[in-house]
Amino acid sequence: MSKIEGTCWVADDYVMAYDIIIQEYWTSAIDPEDNSLWVMAGVKDAFNKENGFKDNGYTFIVAAHNFAGGGKSIEHVVAGLIGAGIQAVFADSFARLQFRNAINYGLPFITSKGIAEHCKTGDTLSYEPDSGIITNMTNGTEFSSVPPAPFVAEVSAAGGLMNYVREKINKGEAIG
Amino acid sequence: MTYQIYEQTVNHPDQINKLTMGMTITEKIMAHNSGRDQVKPGELVWVDVESVMTMDYLGKTCFEKFRSLGPSEVFDKDKVICVSDHLVPPPNQKFATMLNEWREVVRQHDITHFYDLGRQGIAHQIMVEQGHVLPGKISIGTDSHANTYGAVGAVGNAVGVTDAAVAMATGKAWFRVPEAVKFHITGVWQPWVMAKDLSLHIMGMMHWNGHLIYKTLEFTGPAIDSLDMAGRMTLCNMTVDLGAKNGIIKPDQTTKTYLEGVAKGEWEMIESDADAQYEEVYEIDINDLAPTVALPDKLDDTVTVDQLVGTKFNKAFVGTCTNGRLEDIEVIARILKDKQVHRDVNMILVPASQTVYLEALQAGHLETLIKAGVAIDTPSCAACAGIHTGVAGDGDIVLSAGNRNMKGRMGSKNAQIYLSSPAVVAASALKGVISDPRNL
Ligand code: SF4
Repeated sequence: MSKIEGTCWVADDYVMAYDIIIQEYWTSAIDPEDNSLWVMAGVKDAFNKENGFKDNGYTFIVAAHNFAGGGKSIEHVVAGLIGAGIQAVFADSFARLQFRNAINYGLPFITSKGIAEHCKTGDTLSYEPDSGIITNMTNGTEFSSVPPAPFVAEVSAAGGLMNYVREKINKGEAIG
Repeated sequence: MTYQIYEQTVNHPDQINKLTMGMTITEKIMAHNSGRDQVKPGELVWVDVESVMTMDYLGKTCFEKFRSLGPSEVFDKDKVICVSDHLVPPPNQKFATMLNEWREVVRQHDITHFYDLGRQGIAHQIMVEQGHVLPGKISIGTDSHANTYGAVGAVGNAVGVTDAAVAMATGKAWFRVPEAVKFHITGVWQPWVMAKDLSLHIMGMMHWNGHLIYKTLEFTGPAIDSLDMAGRMTLCNMTVDLGAKNGIIKPDQTTKTYLEGVAKGEWEMIESDADAQYEEVYEIDINDLAPTVALPDKLDDTVTVDQLVGTKFNKAFVGTCTNGRLEDIEVIARILKDKQVHRDVNMILVPASQTVYLEALQAGHLETLIKAGVAIDTPSCAACAGIHTGVAGDGDIVLSAGNRNMKGRMGSKNAQIYLSSPAVVAASALKGVISDPRNL
């Protein structure tokens, strides 16, 4: 994967899955384009309008602990982030259910301890997937990250779990 | 308190033997169902699943995704379990149409076990009570509280529709073997203290989605041995709200008795090895566990009920996959027998399934409750997710036996939700203010 560059949004603590996709959209279809229209609507008022988050054009999200927590398993959350142009999320830790969904969708949820303390919304970051190095180009700081497990990298390279499994089924290969 | 990190233990040659020998119940189940002798925390494994559950509002997408993988038939028609719970009976045209589309897709795939309106219940209740989850096996569901299945000694896990679609096609799911944390519970259950109080106590102690993320939580000890299946389900159910991967209790005679006649397959009585490795072990003595309440908005903001006695509220709700079982209904019926719900409170009971509903009827509890002024609604998730049946409006203060209390969860963002055991809900409904059931 090649280097990604763009601006970041620094999330507050307690950004829960049900704030990323609010209740009225839980029963809607899972579709990156549609889900991105109202993504983050529950996080703050500025995002609570059509394309309120998406129009900022962020490439990355930086967070502290338990990003996308609160125990919702809906995939609208990760789909909405992808639809809004997010290419990676860096955090101290992620909620289990959305971490799993992110892996399945091939959206890098990257663990990087303490990163939120050194980034401000609007900073330009770059991420080098092969080395795991994240650079804050605005203030010149650099962070390492935990590399994804080989399986996760394989799923990501295939473009998500659906493609990964579809290819295996087509080729008649066993899974696991 | 012990604290062992796996990486540290590998450095000690005398412990290496232990590492190859001792596994937790969850590790063993993952090993057995992936054809391996041994798995270790952190490893990724593909496991065979015993059952895959999906339900009304996500199920159609799930089947569409499954079809897009290639196969036209699911891996086993007896093991894909379909349930209508969030949207039934449909409160509006939109949901009625969604339900029709859902029914059509289930029919097309000729699914054996379809629990639709009339045979419905909350999916997690159905999965356990109808024997679709079994000791020593792994079941997944497209709803977060699939952790409930740990009550019978199964690994129960919540997944998204992608994982469910893959499992429908292949009978498999991928897992990272979780590190384990043990809660060893001793003491005797005191009058009117319920498993829910222990859940809320642990929530307050460990913090909501705190450092238990990704872990398997194992509940052991004499207080767990003496707990009925309803209580075990409550306890495992709320482990998802702690951020854990799963909660599990080793199967025993209580489990066997419960599953007799309902189990839909073979099972394996698996328990942790004596030398299994835990990252942490917490000891909790329940002899002085008090009824516990979560304050509005955050699940981990808990206090013992005595600190809230006298607090006003206007809606009482008993139901959900956490506390809508026969044992819960029995507790509220005992409290409300020959008494009246306070005139300032509206109380709703929603049994967790048609089976529970019928059993409560036959036991006479429903008559007791109706006479006491409780409204009873047909089994569903009801207002728990704010979708229908008794949703909260502006200014409502709800005392709920459910599992989630964040703003807007049950409807209006301008409502407040306190969470407690059914005993606290019933005692409080009687008095019209939050009350301690031990002082009735
Ligand atoms: S009862 Fe509530 S928590 Fe349980 S499955 Fe239904 S909506 Fe979810």
